[in-house]
Amino acid sequence: MMNFVWLLAVEAAETVEEGGGLFDLDATLPLMAVQFVLLAVALNALFYKPLGKVLDERDGYISSNQVDAAERLAKAEQIANQYQQELAETRRQAQTVIAEAQEEAQKIASKTVAAAQQEAQAQREQVQRELDEQKSQAMATLEQQVDGLSRQILDKLLGSLAA
Amino acid sequence: MLTIHPLVLAKLEVGQHLYWQLGGLKLHGQVFLTSWFVIGALLLVSFLATRNIQRIPSGLQNFMEYALEFIRDLAKNQIGEKEYRPWVPFVGTLFLFIFVSNWSGALIPWKLIHLPAGELAAPTNDINTTVALALLTSLAYFYAGFSHRGLGYFAKYIEPTPILLPINILEDFTKPLSLSFRLFGNILADELVVAVLVLLVPLFVPLPVMVLGLFTSAIQALIFATLAAAYIGEAIEGHGGEEHE
Repeated sequence: MMNFVWLLAVEAAETVEEGGGLFDLDATLPLMAVQFVLLAVALNALFYKPLGKVLDERDGYISSNQVDAAERLAKAEQIANQYQQELAETRRQAQTVIAEAQEEAQKIASKTVAAAQQEAQAQREQVQRELDEQKSQAMATLEQQVDGLSRQILDKLLGSLAA
Repeated sequence: MLTIHPLVLAKLEVGQHLYWQLGGLKLHGQVFLTSWFVIGALLLVSFLATRNIQRIPSGLQNFMEYALEFIRDLAKNQIGEKEYRPWVPFVGTLFLFIFVSNWSGALIPWKLIHLPAGELAAPTNDINTTVALALLTSLAYFYAGFSHRGLGYFAKYIEPTPILLPINILEDFTKPLSLSFRLFGNILADELVVAVLVLLVPLFVPLPVMVLGLFTSAIQALIFATLAAAYIGEAIEGHGGEEHE
């Protein structure tokens, strides 16, 4: 502290001698201010503006890319969901188709079996009927023959008696 | 009582200037020489960094983008998200100019270049430079206040109570005063301490002080820019605004 005071004293002495000193305010001040303002303007054109623009553009680029990526992710998830749903839907459809096919096949099979049974039944009945008819024809012929034979017998008997 | 030989002090050459005459005006030539060097360095680095701008930065562009983001954060913190953008050039140039000035004074052996009078040093160790910067800061925050709040800016002098009017008016004088003297005093004191130590013990001993000086120089640049931004932000927001968040 003493040192500094003493320095100031020396300064004062010097100021008297040569017009210098620590606190020598002169035209340096305004010129320095002008110089500084010019520097600010120059740096604004050369440094702050272009680099600031780059920073802002990069921020925009990054955020837009991020938004884009988020959108794409959402879209991809949506598509995956849709795929899952479609897959489930298709599986269900396949199940129903299989079930329908089985049912139809069952139906066709049972129909076919029923038809065959009916036909068999019909054939059997027809054969039965034919058999019955032939039997009754045979019986009728037999009866006729029995009638004829019995008449011949009768005639023979009666003839012999008459004779 | 300290007894330092006057010759030693004479070798420090405190307060001597290389005078230039400009139409009857006196200029401190050594301040302008180093400030031109600082300005040239800033412009050159800016030019090289923005010569070939890439979306994916590398090298110098990357470094300067880091610097720009640092400055933007500083301005944003003090002035607020909404209004900080127009003030980035001013606050940023304050920081860069002071920082490069301080470090050039601490790192570049200016004293090897002999001048007819005075010696080259950081531009910020001349009171003219720091007062110029501080007055510009005052103008900046007055401009910010008037452009945002019109004549309502004067209302801040009687807030929170009219009793504080004198103190509020005094503040407008103490702000540039404290800004300029803080920077000037720190840088000059740092250079003096280093110079005295170098005179006493030329080897190794001044090194820690030099490193400390680098640290102080950086801090002073940060303080000046932060305070300037804070004053501007305060003028825009009004007293007790967002800066107390």
